[in-house]
Amino acid sequence: MTNAMIAQAEKNSPFMEQLDALIGALRKEKSPDWIIQLREEGVVRFRKLGIPTTKDEEWKYTNLSALAASRCSPAVKSTLSPAQRKDVLARYCSKADVNIVFINGAFDKELSNLGKISGSIEIIPLRDALTNNAAAVQEIWAHYDPQQDSAFVALNKAFTQEGTYIHIGDKIIANQLIHIVHVTHSDGEAIATFPHTFICLGKSSEASILETHVGLSDESVYLADPLTDALLEENATLHYSKAQKESLKAYHVGTTRVWQKRDSTFNGFSLVAGASITRNNLDIVINGEGAAAFLNGLYSVYKDQHVDNHTSVDHRVPNATSNQLYKGVLNDAARAVFNGKIFVRAIAQQTNSYQLNKNLLLGKECRVDTKPQLEIFADDVKCTHGATIGQLNEDEIFYLQARGIPRNIATRLLTQGFVDDVLNRLTRDSVRQQVAQLVAPSLKVLEG
Amino acid sequence: MFEIKNLHAKINDTEILRGINLKINAGEVHAIMGPNGSGKSTLAKIIAGHPDYEVTEGEILYEVNFKKINILEMEPEERAQEGIFLAFQYPVEIPGVSMSAFLRASFNALCRHQGAEEMDPMDFDVFLRKKMKLLEMDEKFINRPVNVDFSGGEKKRNEIMQMAVLNPRLAVLDETDSGLDIDSMRIVADGVNKLKSKNNAMLVITHYQRLLNYIIPDFVHILVDGRIVKSSGRDLALEVEDKGYDWLSKK
Repeated sequence: MTNAMIAQAEKNSPFMEQLDALIGALRKEKSPDWIIQLREEGVVRFRKLGIPTTKDEEWKYTNLSALAASRCSPAVKSTLSPAQRKDVLARYCSKADVNIVFINGAFDKELSNLGKISGSIEIIPLRDALTNNAAAVQEIWAHYDPQQDSAFVALNKAFTQEGTYIHIGDKIIANQLIHIVHVTHSDGEAIATFPHTFICLGKSSEASILETHVGLSDESVYLADPLTDALLEENATLHYSKAQKESLKAYHVGTTRVWQKRDSTFNGFSLVAGASITRNNLDIVINGEGAAAFLNGLYSVYKDQHVDNHTSVDHRVPNATSNQLYKGVLNDAARAVFNGKIFVRAIAQQTNSYQLNKNLLLGKECRVDTKPQLEIFADDVKCTHGATIGQLNEDEIFYLQARGIPRNIATRLLTQGFVDDVLNRLTRDSVRQQVAQLVAPSLKVLEG
Repeated sequence: MFEIKNLHAKINDTEILRGINLKINAGEVHAIMGPNGSGKSTLAKIIAGHPDYEVTEGEILYEVNFKKINILEMEPEERAQEGIFLAFQYPVEIPGVSMSAFLRASFNALCRHQGAEEMDPMDFDVFLRKKMKLLEMDEKFINRPVNVDFSGGEKKRNEIMQMAVLNPRLAVLDETDSGLDIDSMRIVADGVNKLKSKNNAMLVITHYQRLLNYIIPDFVHILVDGRIVKSSGRDLALEVEDKGYDWLSKK
């Protein structure tokens, strides 16, 4: 077959063939005209790009051919039993927080608790916001050229319907944690979900947002293709965490885009504690002087799971800071990819940028591909990066053993220490506990 | 209570210990001195069970419940649980693991082995602070990762502090005095002396006689080329300080 024929065959893959059936249901629903148009543009762009292959430099180490070969059905609305619903509430919904719950991609009003929301803090299901807050949503999206959207952002847009719209007014400090919980469950056919989260922080405002993505069982087969867009106005501070523990048979291909204005702070954390294949893109645009972005991440995977984190920080202005620490624990035959792009434009003098990726390999067949990608066009900047891949240090293990600590406990203690180093960067106790709870099962594997 | 018999050991096919014999009774302090590369630290590590060394001949007998057992067949943690303690020459930094978590795990492992109840975390905290005070260590260290960003002197004090927490029957101090200023050495030596009793024993490995002015040994052994070439009372330490080791190795 020629390359052109292969490309054609991939575009005719079962997933692509099924696209019309997937979208059909959505087309029957009544929606604002601009949304109908936006979805169709998304369909056109996704069809043009297709599901990426490993020939694409951006996807060199992550192979989605199994996804391309699968057929997803339109997600069936809430299929959870009353006991499962109770379990979701108990595990993920603290009464202290604002909770927005999605089951199989659809907003679940009964499980959610939007709290007593004042006029200056708006937390609205996207379905309503698309009609009532259209201008605000459009303003966030206006920062990006849709012709540059990646395949999965385009695909997500093709399904624009469900999600969350959050707007924090100027000078407002939202004290309560805003917790968005995405639960996916499928007993039979593969399904797909396309949630959106829009976050807009007014000038000098502050908010803490946690997005949790979980599969109810490790047997569920689905694709989660979420898109989160955050706009930080001048001097705003966003604490944003994304914590993921999907089914062992799920695909999670998510994108988070953050647009930062002057003096704003993005305090980000990403946890990946499961999915057959995970790909997370975190794209930061620093468009205002004095802004700071902190990107912390942890991935802990085992069996034959694959996790791929792509971060991108685009320094477009002078005097801004970015700091990244991503740590990974791999067991069995798990694979991890870290690709950290840092662009420093010619104008962005006095940029201070730091990136570190550390990997702990506990399994005999695991593999890591880590790739810093720095493109620096300014001449007066401080940019450093580093990557490590290694096993537990035998000297450290012996030191603990020499103090009476058995080897298996020493291993767990050291791995926990490796993990805590980045977990402790989560300063809000309830978020750290939630994240620690999600990562714990993957670390427990060590004791076996 | 402790006896090394004809111990031979190698690392990567290089023979380092060539037949060591040493007997230590409860209540005694033994010092081992010797030039660099004579095998002093190797001996300390082998007693603790370091996996890099291969024992090719001999045995190390240790009395547990009135029975002599060969500790060479035990895992490092089992030796520690039976009361053998090594104060490391180069204490290891452990990022991410706090001093309190580390020492509680260690102390509780010993409790479990001895069939005693584990200490409650609050009580352990009080207990640990008391031991830190004994070695004049700042309480801020309690929540810091083990040995990370500790100065050389703080690391050595930390070793003896751990010894105070675990209260071993046989303590092996591997060049605990190297690199210490005189004040730190006094603090370390005072700590060691307070832990001495008629029921425990100490093996002090050192390159310098200075430490032995503070920790008074009952016996001094000179180790050269993997063998003990001379054993005597504490005066021997002064003699080698004065004359060096050459006169011993030429024999």
